Amino acid sequence: MILAVLFANSDGNILIERFHGVPAEERLHWRSFLVKLGSENLKGSKNEELHVASHKSVSIVYTTIGDVCLYIVGKDEYDELALAEVIFAITSAVKDVCGKPPTERLFLDKYGRICLCLDEIVWQGLLENTEKDRVRRLTRLKPPVEP
Amino acid sequence: MPRSLAGGDLAVPEMAQPYMKKDDDDEDVEYSPFFGIEKGAVLQEARAFHDPQLDVRRCSQVITKLLYLLNQGETFTKVEATEVFFAVTKLFQSSDAGLRRLVYLMIKELSPSSDEVIIVTSSLMKDMNSKTDMYRANAIRVLCRIIDGTLLTQIERYLKQAIVDKNPVVASAALVSGIHLAQANPETVKRWSNEVQEAVQSRAPLVQFHGLALLHQIRQNDRLAVSKLVSSLTRGSVRSPLAQCLLIRYTSQVMRESSMNTQNGDRPFFDFLESSLRHKAEMVVLEAARKITEMDVTSRELTPAITVLQLYLSSSKPVLRFAAVRTLNKVAMTRPLAVTNCNVDLESLMSDQNRSIATLAITTLLKTGNESSVDRLIKQITNFMSDIADEFKIVVVEAIRSLCLKFPLKYRSMLNFLSNSLREEGGFEYKKAIVDSIVTLISEIPDAKEIGLLHLCEFIEDCEFTYLSSQILHFLGNEGPRTSDPSRYIRYIYNRVILENATVRASAVSTLAKFGALVDTLKPRIFVLLQRCLFDTEDEVRDRATLYLQTLSGEVPIGNDEKDAKDFLFGSFDVPLANLEASLRTYEPSEEPFDISLVSREVRSLPLKEKAAPGKRPPAAAAAPAPVSTVDAYQKMLSSIPEFSGFGRLFKSSEPMELTEAETEYAVSVVKHIYDGYIVLQYNCANTIEEQLLEDVTVCVDASDAEEFSEICSKPLASLPYNSPGQVFVAFEKPEGVPAVGKFLNLLKFTVKEVDTTTGEADEDGVEDEYQLEDFEIVSSDYMLRVAVSNFRNAWENMDPESERVDEYGLGVRESLAEAVNAVINILGMQPCEGTEVVPKNARSHTCLLSGVFIGNVKALVRLSFGLSGPNEVAMKLAVRSDDPEVSDKIHEIVASG
Repeated sequence: MILAVLFANSDGNILIERFHGVPAEERLHWRSFLVKLGSENLKGSKNEELHVASHKSVSIVYTTIGDVCLYIVGKDEYDELALAEVIFAITSAVKDVCGKPPTERLFLDKYGRICLCLDEIVWQGLLENTEKDRVRRLTRLKPPVEP
Repeated sequence: MPRSLAGGDLAVPEMAQPYMKKDDDDEDVEYSPFFGIEKGAVLQEARAFHDPQLDVRRCSQVITKLLYLLNQGETFTKVEATEVFFAVTKLFQSSDAGLRRLVYLMIKELSPSSDEVIIVTSSLMKDMNSKTDMYRANAIRVLCRIIDGTLLTQIERYLKQAIVDKNPVVASAALVSGIHLAQANPETVKRWSNEVQEAVQSRAPLVQFHGLALLHQIRQNDRLAVSKLVSSLTRGSVRSPLAQCLLIRYTSQVMRESSMNTQNGDRPFFDFLESSLRHKAEMVVLEAARKITEMDVTSRELTPAITVLQLYLSSSKPVLRFAAVRTLNKVAMTRPLAVTNCNVDLESLMSDQNRSIATLAITTLLKTGNESSVDRLIKQITNFMSDIADEFKIVVVEAIRSLCLKFPLKYRSMLNFLSNSLREEGGFEYKKAIVDSIVTLISEIPDAKEIGLLHLCEFIEDCEFTYLSSQILHFLGNEGPRTSDPSRYIRYIYNRVILENATVRASAVSTLAKFGALVDTLKPRIFVLLQRCLFDTEDEVRDRATLYLQTLSGEVPIGNDEKDAKDFLFGSFDVPLANLEASLRTYEPSEEPFDISLVSREVRSLPLKEKAAPGKRPPAAAAAPAPVSTVDAYQKMLSSIPEFSGFGRLFKSSEPMELTEAETEYAVSVVKHIYDGYIVLQYNCANTIEEQLLEDVTVCVDASDAEEFSEICSKPLASLPYNSPGQVFVAFEKPEGVPAVGKFLNLLKFTVKEVDTTTGEADEDGVEDEYQLEDFEIVSSDYMLRVAVSNFRNAWENMDPESERVDEYGLGVRESLAEAVNAVINILGMQPCEGTEVVPKNARSHTCLLSGVFIGNVKALVRLSFGLSGPNEVAMKLAVRSDDPEVSDKIHEIVASG
């Protein structure tokens, strides 16, 4: 299960957060834990360089894309390797929507489209689509191109 | 900022308003499209959804704002959510694809209640049968999110079709929906098995991945089906790496389960795992390597997996490095030699930018390193420690402790490392981990004692944690007086009396007293120091000083001699605190003083929950009060029965053992009370039939299979009404102090009288009847009290080595090492110490420490060393020490006969 997908700006303000199977009372804890993790490790890190950590039985993969930090938390079958696939799908889709690694402003300008991409990639804690062209077409309700 | 503003574009230009970043200067003004957004205003804007002429772009913008609010943690009241939901459903009128996609998302986000769902189901059902594939896929996902079981059966037909749809997006949508629906409606989803099976064969990689996950979920409780699934797929071609990873997991699960059932060691799927090590996807390779390392494989089988992992240690991708080092770290716990070849690569990872990877590399190296590399490792770690967080430091400290126990000759450099770490900044948990490690090293490595104690003394000179200061002072009191120069510690201890808070001062006074009691040369000077403590501002400190001064000078007699005084100061408190608390609670103030020797020493496990169905049957052991005070209560109850009052002190009472099946008309359980020369069987009886009254209830015990026992008296129960439990007692005499064993056959005899349930009156005439109860045995473990010792090593060394008896036993083929350990613990009925009853996963050997008190108040300690040879063939070495060598022999007899 992918427990959380969270976008934050470089100050740690949440832009998008999606939790799956995490009780409401634990979300605040996760939010502050992830933002703290990012503030300690993402400063000065390269764009889209993946960082990885494990906390108890869950894995966390996180990165920066433009001015935005992205965190993904998973457990069981979604270990660091599967999460790396998920985060790659999300960062590709975001870059595709924004045309480049986004500034915070650009990210917010494309907010609706990014929400749709996220909805296509992760659905209720499961990875559904991975390929950015396909995701782009799906957010416009167009069928995927046959390979 | 040029931007396409085509219909349905989700950009929000006119929402842009000045947005000042808090800390920025004026020239860095940025604009947030959501600056100043307010829920009330957005809800007002949502009225645009009701317009007869829908403005698609505007509606899209409003939905984006609503999504932003929801993603920021804003919540809608029930009324607000309903209003928005109804408004959003109006948007189905529009045929704009972009808007429709947003509507699907919005409905999922709002998750409408069951009475609202009806509004939107017809629109969604229409979309689900639409010719446009994407409408179908999205409608399926939305419907599955919001519907309940009854509606599911209505749309089941369409979902089954969708699973085999030729459009992979539709098929995946249906399969992923199935995975979610299976949690609440497993039976319905099970019926889709054939379609899902077809999906698993799909050419589309993601459909195969989702299909495999769902098929496994459907069949997960059917071992044979999972085995067949794995068997067919490992032969075929799985296209998606994600699906291949799932298959590897399911395969290893099948292998694990089948290895438990078969003893021949065959592993039919191992070739598949091994071939996955050569897969082109890194994810698959790592998954296969991980699963192979988790299995019980030979070194030769393990090597390819380790080699692959070693390659990934130098990967440019952090995730691969992390996955590899994490796996190697786990392997190093059980098979350190297998990882030694990776040491060079691991050392280079110690400087990895990612601290998680660096910490894992270090802790792995600490497990695999050899004696000659220890000093170099410690030096490298010292540089690394300053820039990692406390939680990583604790992991490193624990690894250092294990390493030091492995290479005791290297204690000096490791103690220095720990002591330096104590001086660095750090929180309580970190400091506690270091102190615990130093204490362990001092206890385990005699040479490390003096230097370790001095490190601890230096630490308490500047320790901000009261708990740690007190712990160290207590430890210092026990160990310091037995060193070559005890006087060197006094300065540190007395400084605490002058400088610290009351808790630490009181601990320091106790520590001083211990030095005074054991070191005669220091005694006069300790007296002077203790006398100064008499003027302390805290009464606890003054009281302790007064007590110790008088004890040490012999003014207050403690026991008969100096040894008793020392026992008073040093003796470990062998009464479990929970038992003491329970006894104190039941103590009624009277002329008779509280006697601590009567408090039970037995460590009681938590009470088992009553299995009886509520209301149907009263619990058979209802008469027995809470478990901690049970022994006290039993002692009190039995000594109040004249027949048993002369039996002496109750040694042990067993847990109640059921002698009847659940839900039968009479519920009987037995408690075995053990005395030195007697046993009393207490039968707890309950009558669960309202229409019956039982009278003259007795238990006829046939002890012909228990030769050393002879029945001396029985105490029947005059009447046993419905729902009012009572007890029958039968007492036996047995040879004094001898752990006699035997089997007891039981027959419940009584007179039944019918009861009129309306009046509650019983007939005058009754019928004699009997009821067969289960047999039970008195076994050797009934003569053993589970009594813990606080420091097993000390207790072991303090026992006469002459009393030690060692022998080896073959336990044959067992389910697992853990199962064998538990079986021996149960046979002996002793208390596991220091958590040694827990066997680490994949361990090939294990040592378990047990302690107990055998009948006749003979303390006994047991060291069990288990080892695995061949497939689950367990061998055991048993070493026993006890106060009485005969008991050591007896314990061997128990194991030999068990």
